[in-house]
Amino acid sequence: MASVTLRRISKRYQEATVLREVSLDIADREFMILVGPSGCGKSTLLRMIAGLEEVTEGDILIDGKVVNHLAPRDREIAMVFQDYALYPHMTVEENMSFGLRLRGLAKAEIDRRVDEAAAVLQIKDLLKRTPRQLSGGQRQRVAIGRAIVRKPKAFLFDEPLSNLDAKLREEMRIEIAKLHQRLGATIIYVTHDQVEAMTLGSRMAVMNGGIIQQVGTPAEAFFRPANHFVAGFIGSPTMNFIDGAVAGGMFKSPDMGFKLPGGTRASGPVILGIRPEGVCVNKTDGSSLSEPVPAAIEVVELLGYKRNLYLKAGEKRLLATVDASFDGKPGDTVSMSLQLAGIHLFDQETKGRIG
Amino acid sequence: MVETPQEVAAVLAAHHRRQAVQAVLIHAALIGACLICLYPLLRMISVSLRPGDRLISTDLALIPAGASASSYLRVFKETEFLLWLWNSLVITCVTSFIGVSLAATGGYAFSRFKFPGNKLGLTLLLGTQMIPAGMLLLPLFLMIMRLGLINTYLGMIVAYSVTSLPFSIWILKGYYDTIPRSLEEAALVDGTSRFGAFYRIVLPLSTPALSIAFLFNFTQAWNEYLVARVVLCDAQRYTWTLGLFELQGQYLTQWGMFAAGSFMVTVPVLLIFLYSSKWLISGLTLGGVKG
Repeated sequence: MASVTLRRISKRYQEATVLREVSLDIADREFMILVGPSGCGKSTLLRMIAGLEEVTEGDILIDGKVVNHLAPRDREIAMVFQDYALYPHMTVEENMSFGLRLRGLAKAEIDRRVDEAAAVLQIKDLLKRTPRQLSGGQRQRVAIGRAIVRKPKAFLFDEPLSNLDAKLREEMRIEIAKLHQRLGATIIYVTHDQVEAMTLGSRMAVMNGGIIQQVGTPAEAFFRPANHFVAGFIGSPTMNFIDGAVAGGMFKSPDMGFKLPGGTRASGPVILGIRPEGVCVNKTDGSSLSEPVPAAIEVVELLGYKRNLYLKAGEKRLLATVDASFDGKPGDTVSMSLQLAGIHLFDQETKGRIG
Repeated sequence: MVETPQEVAAVLAAHHRRQAVQAVLIHAALIGACLICLYPLLRMISVSLRPGDRLISTDLALIPAGASASSYLRVFKETEFLLWLWNSLVITCVTSFIGVSLAATGGYAFSRFKFPGNKLGLTLLLGTQMIPAGMLLLPLFLMIMRLGLINTYLGMIVAYSVTSLPFSIWILKGYYDTIPRSLEEAALVDGTSRFGAFYRIVLPLSTPALSIAFLFNFTQAWNEYLVARVVLCDAQRYTWTLGLFELQGQYLTQWGMFAAGSFMVTVPVLLIFLYSSKWLISGLTLGGVKG
């Protein structure tokens, strides 16, 4: 296994700049997630690490060596593709052993490695089948198996679960997490699914517009988003944002106003962010909550153990996630307050975090 | 609106009747087309079997009265038929091999690489197909002559390969377009070179298109007459098309031998076509290769 380092990587296609000076250190045995909306450059970045796209500027280092000009086959990485990319004219066994045969490994060694990987992935009884005869989940396993047998320096996953149905995706997610523990491999994993990003990675790089917005653990990205974009992208349902201004420790917007917890240095125009779980309904616990304001319930959604309330306070619409036991109906008026500890403040201009 | 069960049944029955009528019409048309295609072949067999004194008879029987194989024997005894066949076979096989190899790589370049003139090149290739073969004869003759390839196998092979190349490139380019690029990328990461990915992944997956290109090249070269007439002048180099034409004299045509020879050169092509018809159909209609 090896570390992967990106040094000020840029990618341009004629006029369009897809990546701007991206730098990232991925430690040996780390599970790094590249997450962002489609078109943010995450797949391009992964393909550049694999050697499938040329680097316009900057350096890619694998195990401390610059690999910019190495062909994909000389980079000792393995990749799992979104559409699996299994060779349709080969059996599962041939698919898995393809890379090893190309490297001229002894037959016995090839058989041993394929057997071992097939056992780990529980696909031993599929070895003689062709990809056409497999289900989506089985194909996914074979694609992962093909990567494992190579014993590469790093694994690259390009949205590997996005073609699976919800239940299978969950199963495979857990499999991949187990696999990482078992192999102790360096993994770079591209996804737009934030559940995968939150649950799989040891760290994640949140990307948007060809720039890394934040690198950190899933908890850091969730609890201390570096900017307005990360705050809105990570977390489901999405964070509520309220435009307003801070003056003398007081937050003021057209629809509400309250004193912020002591120690805030913010002042001037801000965007206040609060996750739906931080919006409280009909609660009175003075010190930890903001001043209550009346809000009308517009829509109620039951999610099972939670309930989503779409509220309207003055002209501002907010989403609150409350216990399923809450029994308000659309049209009811409730008293709404915000958990002060859950408040994030972002600069209106730079969108960066200020408190 | 159709509502009651009786009305639904009536609509369905009308629909089935329409379908049945359609099926009958389609089959009648196909059978008619088959007969039109088969008629010359049957006449050829019939004429080749006739005894010498009844060649111009208007009798329609497939096996004529007094049928004999004498025309077949005479073709072998009195002409260089085997030599002509050999010449045709060499030229056709080499042409098909070269034509398909060049089209396989050329089509790949057009399908996978962006280069200046990619679109223009494809359009020009298509444009060449609009020029009637007769117009190409003189320039082709001049080129082959300047290359010093008149009356050689090589001259024929060059002429045939280049004339069928545009069609083959289009067929293969279209087929490659349906093969996901990620397969080659996976192969590159797995350890192949660019050519290795083409050779080990793309080519094996393209067998339907390759067989179509091969058949096209083969039948074109096998049946060709005009170019052969221009390039070949030594009877020792004649292909069967030229050879059989020799049997047509100004005053006397050996129709029996002509028909027998024609029949014998038709059979191999016919068999190849029948054998490969499944691939042909699947290759022409099948879209992508879905992993």
